[in-house]
Amino acid sequence: MNHSSRVYEDIFEMLPSEENPTPLVRINKLNPNPHFTLYAKLEWLNPFGSIKDRPAWSMLRKLEEEGKVGPGHNLVEPTSGNTGLSFAAMASARGYKLRAIVPGQIPKEKKTLLKIAGADLEVLNDDVCPAPGLGDGSINRAKSHAKASPEEYTLPNQYENEANVDAHFRTTGPEIWRQTEGKITHFFGALGTCGTITGTGRFLKSKNSAVQVVAIVPSEGHDVPGLRNISQLHISKLFDSSVVDEIMEIDYKLAYRRALDLSRKEGLLAGPSSGLIFEGASEVAARTKSGLGVMVFCDNVFKYLSNMLKHHPELAAEGFGFFPTH
Amino acid sequence: MSNYSHPEVLVDIAWAKSNLGNPKVKFVEIDVDTSSYDSGHIPGAIAFNWRTQLQNQVSRDIISKDAFEKLVGGAGIANGDTVVLYGDNNNWFAAYGFWLFKLYGHEKIHLLNGGRVKWLNEPDAPLTKDLPKVTPVKYTAGNEHKEFRALLPEVLEASSKKDRNLVDVRSPDEFSGKIIAPPNLPETAQRAGHIPGAKSIPWSTAVNQDGTFKSADDLGKIYLQEKGVDAKKASIAYCRIGERSSHTWFVLKYLLGIADVKNYDGSWTEYGNLIGAPIENPTGGSSGTK
Repeated sequence: MNHSSRVYEDIFEMLPSEENPTPLVRINKLNPNPHFTLYAKLEWLNPFGSIKDRPAWSMLRKLEEEGKVGPGHNLVEPTSGNTGLSFAAMASARGYKLRAIVPGQIPKEKKTLLKIAGADLEVLNDDVCPAPGLGDGSINRAKSHAKASPEEYTLPNQYENEANVDAHFRTTGPEIWRQTEGKITHFFGALGTCGTITGTGRFLKSKNSAVQVVAIVPSEGHDVPGLRNISQLHISKLFDSSVVDEIMEIDYKLAYRRALDLSRKEGLLAGPSSGLIFEGASEVAARTKSGLGVMVFCDNVFKYLSNMLKHHPELAAEGFGFFPTH
Repeated sequence: MSNYSHPEVLVDIAWAKSNLGNPKVKFVEIDVDTSSYDSGHIPGAIAFNWRTQLQNQVSRDIISKDAFEKLVGGAGIANGDTVVLYGDNNNWFAAYGFWLFKLYGHEKIHLLNGGRVKWLNEPDAPLTKDLPKVTPVKYTAGNEHKEFRALLPEVLEASSKKDRNLVDVRSPDEFSGKIIAPPNLPETAQRAGHIPGAKSIPWSTAVNQDGTFKSADDLGKIYLQEKGVDAKKASIAYCRIGERSSHTWFVLKYLLGIADVKNYDGSWTEYGNLIGAPIENPTGGSSGTK
């Protein structure tokens, strides 16, 4: 592979590494503090379109090495979309399949993408009635397939798989360290599986324990796909509170407001989770004298058009012509 | 489980594991999501579909005694067999099945404590997609227990006389009238709110994080002391379509030992569609489109 000419023999050579990092792009107009530099790490420039390329590749390679996946021996995974898309595309290119267990409320765009990438979809209604514990949702449905037919399905389980954390320890963290020449003072990420914050946080702290790791979470009742708030954190086994200096809760509606701002003011077509992280990072920048912050922008807005329309109905009124409101 | 009034109605995971392959023990899975069984089930278990097999397919009613006999016998369950029911959503429809089996007089009927999710997460509890070989047998229903079922006239009377415990087991938002039904469920009603005089005790207050039922002491504290269910009075439980209320019916009758407990399976999808029925609606939601 040749990263300087960007000529590759297959799509997997494009996956990120210290030598081939995703870009850091500076926030200019929207940064409230000129002495606190803010960079967005554009994870949608990964080959399959999101930060989830990193853990998906890490988990998949490990399973391949262990002989647990291959032609005829497929993946089954609970996914809100991005991990599923990475798995589906990677598995298809390598001769096997993903069975994606998805909650019903995820956007149609993501479900369609999973199908396009070759996944078998199983859509569940996870939100029947509040109940204690994990309920019977996507995670347990995936476990059921893996347990009942282990010869057919393997469950990577991104919520419990240390290879998820390891991906960020080996790639995201070193990339940021090198790109900022070790000057990073703050790292901002969201919480989903918690692989990003734990893996990147561990690496950055190992280099400089003073780096502040800030987790941005949406407020209760949120509809930001892929993210967890405090009350949903128990789902992941990968959260390591020892590397997180602060958890900031942000009104989830601001995820959609800031995603629009980033598109219109910075030219960054960022998705809602990036919008949420940006709001949190801006608040920290505004209250901090100086520093250098790096925000993970997990994916772009293309998969969230229906969510964006829901939160910004004025977009539809700005020249769609006929657009039913009911 | 010994603190419960009738501990024999529950079996635990260890008992179930030790009875896999026992020809006199029949495992039956009944799920809210009827595709759950296909993704893996207890070896030897058959499945009943609550929509198509436990309901009359023409009028709104439970299946008739005749249809029940055909269903159970067709599943290879004999009168003397021990039947263990389990399912998803903390045994909602497994409890509904339990209620139906009791209604039609089957004696040896049990719930697997913790249901499907508990079994699934036990490291050494096997799961399979293989369908069991079933040999149909002749099955005859036992003594019917119509006293386990509340029909609308009795519910209206209980509400107006205020002489019984009316227990609404739905979510707080359904009880308060904020929503008519949980999201994405097709069975609904024209009006929101609850039956006047009903106490709100969501079904989920009866279960632990792992899906098992809370201890008798905890259940007594919640239902009898905190929520004010009077154990000396008759009780009627209701929900939306009768499955979550079967769960609470089970708790009140067998775990707490209240003598006279009925399940109103017509529930809110019957009551909330009635012309002129009295409704309490604290949040003011009233439209079928809400």
